[in-house]
Amino acid sequence: MTAATGRNRLPWPALVGVLIGAAIMVAPLLWTLLLSLKSNTELMRDSASALSAPYTLDNYRDIVTGSDLPRWLLNSLIVSLGTTGGVLLLCSLAGYGFARLEFPFRRTLFVFVLLGLAIPEQAVILPRHQLFAMLGWHNSYPGLMLPGLAAPFGVFFMTQYFRAIPKDLDEAAMLDGASRLSIFWKVLLPLSFPAQATLGVFTFLGSWNDYWWPLISATTSDKYTLTVGLASAQMNYAQTSGLGFLMAQAVFASIPILIVYIIFQKQIVGAMAGAATR
Amino acid sequence: MTRCKLLLATLAALILGSCGQIDDRPTLVIQRFFGECGAVYGKTVDVAKAETECGILTTMLNKFVADNPDINVKINVVAWPGYPQLAAQIAAGDPPDLVTMHQSVISDYQVRGLLSPMNDLLAEAKIDTRSLTPAGQRGAIKNGHFYALPWDTIGRLWHINTSLMAKAGLMSGGKPVLPNSPAELLEHARKFKAATGKPYLIQAQVSAPDYLVANLYTYLLAQDAVIFSDSRHIRLNTPEARAIVELYRTLNAEKLTTTSQDFPGATASFVNGEGGIFPTGTWMIGPYDEASKAKGSRLGGYAVVPFPRLWGKSAAFVDGHSWVVPADNRTPAERRAIARFLAFSAQYNGDWVRTGHLPAFRAVLDAPSFTAQPHRKDIAAMAATGQQLPDFVQRQSAIQGLIGEELEAAVTGIKPVDVALADAERRVNELLSGI
Repeated sequence: MTAATGRNRLPWPALVGVLIGAAIMVAPLLWTLLLSLKSNTELMRDSASALSAPYTLDNYRDIVTGSDLPRWLLNSLIVSLGTTGGVLLLCSLAGYGFARLEFPFRRTLFVFVLLGLAIPEQAVILPRHQLFAMLGWHNSYPGLMLPGLAAPFGVFFMTQYFRAIPKDLDEAAMLDGASRLSIFWKVLLPLSFPAQATLGVFTFLGSWNDYWWPLISATTSDKYTLTVGLASAQMNYAQTSGLGFLMAQAVFASIPILIVYIIFQKQIVGAMAGAATR
Repeated sequence: MTRCKLLLATLAALILGSCGQIDDRPTLVIQRFFGECGAVYGKTVDVAKAETECGILTTMLNKFVADNPDINVKINVVAWPGYPQLAAQIAAGDPPDLVTMHQSVISDYQVRGLLSPMNDLLAEAKIDTRSLTPAGQRGAIKNGHFYALPWDTIGRLWHINTSLMAKAGLMSGGKPVLPNSPAELLEHARKFKAATGKPYLIQAQVSAPDYLVANLYTYLLAQDAVIFSDSRHIRLNTPEARAIVELYRTLNAEKLTTTSQDFPGATASFVNGEGGIFPTGTWMIGPYDEASKAKGSRLGGYAVVPFPRLWGKSAAFVDGHSWVVPADNRTPAERRAIARFLAFSAQYNGDWVRTGHLPAFRAVLDAPSFTAQPHRKDIAAMAATGQQLPDFVQRQSAIQGLIGEELEAAVTGIKPVDVALADAERRVNELLSGI
């Protein structure tokens, strides 16, 4: 054991606390996974049977072969990536503008953007639905992506991040003859990568898990996202006679999210830690 | 230049080719719930061999597509129960042509003019509406017109563990002995508990407001009580309602029923033989019959009957599934396609009853396809006695939620019965006043 690892070791009461916390977090996930590997008939009789063999992959087979799953996955991917890309672009530009540029009504506009945080989606969903119907945007990818691009939290987040970067960098670049756009593109944007990663992951997760808007905007099966598609595949009383299938759906839907988290884990943790200590 | 000509020729061929692809068949968009079961039934067309709601409906639709190549059928499977999507489609001016709808929900759409009356369509499909069961007719007629083609009648039944009933001495001639009054029900329940050590009733009383409300409605209908005096007022704070709720409160207080169980929990209790009678839906006949016959089953014997006659006459509060046609401008060819589907759907009503639900057509009630099914003769009476709420009552699902909350508080002893009923009445009337 090195001195460094010895210094970093948690005192045992804290370690026990962390382990208990981890167990509390992991137990429902493990329970979901075990239920997904059991036959529905067995679970109807006794859900505790999930703790013992035999296990089966039948529920996963039914998901893959019994529905339009590849299409829904593709739709979710297109919508989530499109929304994430759009949010990163718009929020970075807006954040840079609010943090670095002087223009009339800047503060008022910023407050106006922040007010968006206080308006729940439910309050605007009817007029938005009518507007999209009028424009003929339902059952289309833009129709699914556009509402997600209005991201006041993203604008606030990026503004705060850019404000924390010393202005000396901008001034040095200006002395070298860089334009505003060059400063944004070549100096500040690369420095904001941790924030971009965090915002991107959160936006991707939000878009991937969104249910309400896709439910009422994508009303034909070929435009369903994964959440809506999986819900449509559920039979009624699934919690009784199809519990294993229900849990397999939950596991299946979470796999892409898990992959995203694993890939961007370093950036997410780094950015969150940075935000906490800044 | 040659390359340019080649390109132009290819483009022309593509354009001409795509012209040949134009589909001039009438399009029929059928929107349904009941989930996806393509893994088993994705390509099957033999309706007689299909099982479960999803399986039978999927196979029926596959068969319709195969039998009607001159119709461009688009099937849309929606998340249960599909009404938010339907409302959105109607708002966007793009409703489907045929939609699965619970009969209790039809009024919500019908009063707003969002559904097409179907008398003409049914006539075109050569469906004689007099051939529908009384419960089916009551579920489909709104404001004097047919607004739906009903497929079935669904309601609550008493699912009975006959092994435990025999142990309690509550079997006679191979059939369960049922109570004929509230006092007799309590007497049976106490006797059952003393003999078996288990509760007489298994009830899903948590997160299942519809169950408690079905009990209340059923026994109010049995007493010919007026539940809704008009479209804006419910009457719940009445002696009839109080007597019903008091009975269920006593069952809870004396631990003659399971408590604190949701539907999955209650189902597990029933199939594991942990109680005598589980009042739940027609749709569970198949799974429970199968569970009772399984090797090593703890359910033992199984019987199923309509709710016993505790007050007044035989009655049952029921609902049902149906096809409705959202209002829209349609061509004569599209209307003919809808009529053809309705005729096709009616033809397979005898297969649909394998789900456990009661048929919507009188002829099926007497047909071997129904009577040969396990326990179906024992529940057939419900096709006549089954009643829905009056056709002017809207927001029935929301109303059930409100009443269910108050009933749960009353039967578990959290609220006095009369207070709970008064609160339920007030809350429902407030809801209805806002319509």
